[in-house]
Amino acid sequence: MKDLSAPPQAPLRSPGQVMRLSRMGSMFPTRLSFLRTLTRFLAAENAQVTRHVWQMCPEGYGHAVYCVTLGGYTYSLVAVSTQLAPEERTDRVIATAWDTAYVLYDGVPDADEIARICSAAPKQEAARFTERDLVLSRANKSVRLFAHVVERLRAGQQPDAAMVRQIGYLMRTTAVYGNGKFGIADRVVIETRPGLSGPFMAEMLTVWLIRHFTHDLVEHVGQGTLDRRLKRHLGIGNSTGLGMAPFLVTHPVLLNNWMLARETALARVRAVPRLDSASVQRLHDLATRAAQHLSQWQVPDTRHQQRIDDLRRDWARVLAWLTPENMMADHAIEALLSWSSDQTEDVQELIVALVIELFPDLVDGLTDCMADPIGPMAALPRDTNALRDAIEAHFVWALQLDYAATDQCQQFWYVSSAKQEPRLGNRFAEAGAELESPLDIARRIRALYDDLPSEPVGICAFLERHPEHFLAVSRAGLAGHYPYAEIRDNLIAENCLPIDMLRCKLSFFGASKFDPKSDRWTRITLCQGAPLADELDARADDWWLPVFGP
Amino acid sequence: MSWSRAEILALATKAARGAAAPPGQAAQFGQAAAQHLGRGRSADDLLRALEQLPSGPILQIPVEISRVMISAEGQQSIDASVEVGAYAALFESYLESLPCKTTITARTPETFHVVLESAVPAPGVSLDRITGCDLAIEKMTTLAARTFVPESEASRLAGAGAGLTDND
Repeated sequence: MKDLSAPPQAPLRSPGQVMRLSRMGSMFPTRLSFLRTLTRFLAAENAQVTRHVWQMCPEGYGHAVYCVTLGGYTYSLVAVSTQLAPEERTDRVIATAWDTAYVLYDGVPDADEIARICSAAPKQEAARFTERDLVLSRANKSVRLFAHVVERLRAGQQPDAAMVRQIGYLMRTTAVYGNGKFGIADRVVIETRPGLSGPFMAEMLTVWLIRHFTHDLVEHVGQGTLDRRLKRHLGIGNSTGLGMAPFLVTHPVLLNNWMLARETALARVRAVPRLDSASVQRLHDLATRAAQHLSQWQVPDTRHQQRIDDLRRDWARVLAWLTPENMMADHAIEALLSWSSDQTEDVQELIVALVIELFPDLVDGLTDCMADPIGPMAALPRDTNALRDAIEAHFVWALQLDYAATDQCQQFWYVSSAKQEPRLGNRFAEAGAELESPLDIARRIRALYDDLPSEPVGICAFLERHPEHFLAVSRAGLAGHYPYAEIRDNLIAENCLPIDMLRCKLSFFGASKFDPKSDRWTRITLCQGAPLADELDARADDWWLPVFGP
Repeated sequence: MSWSRAEILALATKAARGAAAPPGQAAQFGQAAAQHLGRGRSADDLLRALEQLPSGPILQIPVEISRVMISAEGQQSIDASVEVGAYAALFESYLESLPCKTTITARTPETFHVVLESAVPAPGVSLDRITGCDLAIEKMTTLAARTFVPESEASRLAGAGAGLTDND
């Protein structure tokens, strides 16, 4: 009989340690990241990508359709490439035109459906879509790299490897919409299908197929074949702004499940009593790869580059710690993590990702626990005393702040009327604070706490008197059941950096090469080093922190 | 035109906020509205509820349901009576949008008898598209727009990604 008991594990790291913005903003992709889960599934299914349609002019404008079968269902990426004037090229949500547009289609589209998508997809948010459309996306070219690769291929040469390494993608997506947006299918349509039941799996499949299309497109226009090593290093870029940040606040159970899976993976790895010689070698190889990855991670922003430089320097100390003697000792992983406790959060979180990478058998099954198919199964506290206890147990961090102080309420989140773009304003300098989005959980908890009566009152009676506290009461009710549901920082404080929330979420997607352009948006690279469509048998699962090489 | 459930959920949530519902109740209304229209119930129920803000069922129903949920805490299953007033259909949609299984075993014009099984997940929702509610969509869109901050040059320039060339 199969043993279904959970592996031994060390204590979980506390939410107070894990759920701080600065640490979330230091996270790296792991083998639990969604793209990694996807490529493992693609490999397990022996998935074959076929090019069903290729209607493209010599300059690369037209459309293509790719099909892949997963878990008994066929999905098709319909890609539409159009000419775009340089002055129209912007990665912001408020853009109205893009170089390319995409739909992941449920099934294989016939000619009428292809025509419909070719008409609607380039309009993106301005069009309506159907329940056969699972994901909607768009991407802009990296103009200089795309043009360079075309030029070189046309000359019968390969592109400059240094340029490929520096930029890392031919196109970058600026939105990947799923779950019902603009009329596309609700997530519920696919949430029980094999391979797509995990969070954002349809979106990740779309991104992986878009990458495949960009390779084909540049080879088509360049009339040549890219070297496989270069092609593998060409991922798909992404520009991500503030729209992604509120998601983590408005989906507390999902956030909890992601973080809990990751922390459980770490706790299991910590409990490993001894590494065998193969694991020692693997640990050393992965740590060396991480060093190489860091050496290839260059960004224009001087502050972030300094942070990367510091991490490179500090990572050398990690490599120095990984002596045969240390690695062969009892509880080596625990010792490494303990040693790192006085290192920077960047070092600590890279070590977390490193040690998780080492143990697929202990951690990969946790990916089954990262969705939220049910919703919050938690009742509100019974009365105001129970509520006070819950707040004092889980929200001390929120009670310690003075939200009347300018620096603790300086920012406000809002949605602009311009294409409903999420933005962050200065409460004391910009209009619109009265329309603030309710992401100020910490302040709301404090306001609730201050209004609690000294004598206990049933929670429903309290809410009838104070309906404005319903959200805060609900969050307090969740806290005991979902320990990692709440970001434990004040999201309206002057020093709140949305980029930290973006990095946390993007690391779960599997993003690398974070390239922050400000404290509120970043470019990243997805699928870099990921297996190409014809490599799923050989390279499906060994692309953590990709490096440019064979 | 057909709509996804997620669209209705997001729109109804914003509409409720635009009509002055607090955010927690607005979110619950969004869930219930998607269920309501997904079941083919009358969109007028939603509009009537929105018109009554800042009081009425959008504030009252979540409290009533919380009362039942609290009494079910720690029990596999409970049997409860709930006052549904003049909003029986909307109340039913709220119950159906709970994460746990609820069954209405008896109903009078103003009361439901409900069995709530706190450890049993709710059955899956209908996969049908939502149609026939264009007027309600239009009205909710107008209410939702009240939550958007009008565009200004300063706001546009302060947005993420502003001022940078993407022709690189």
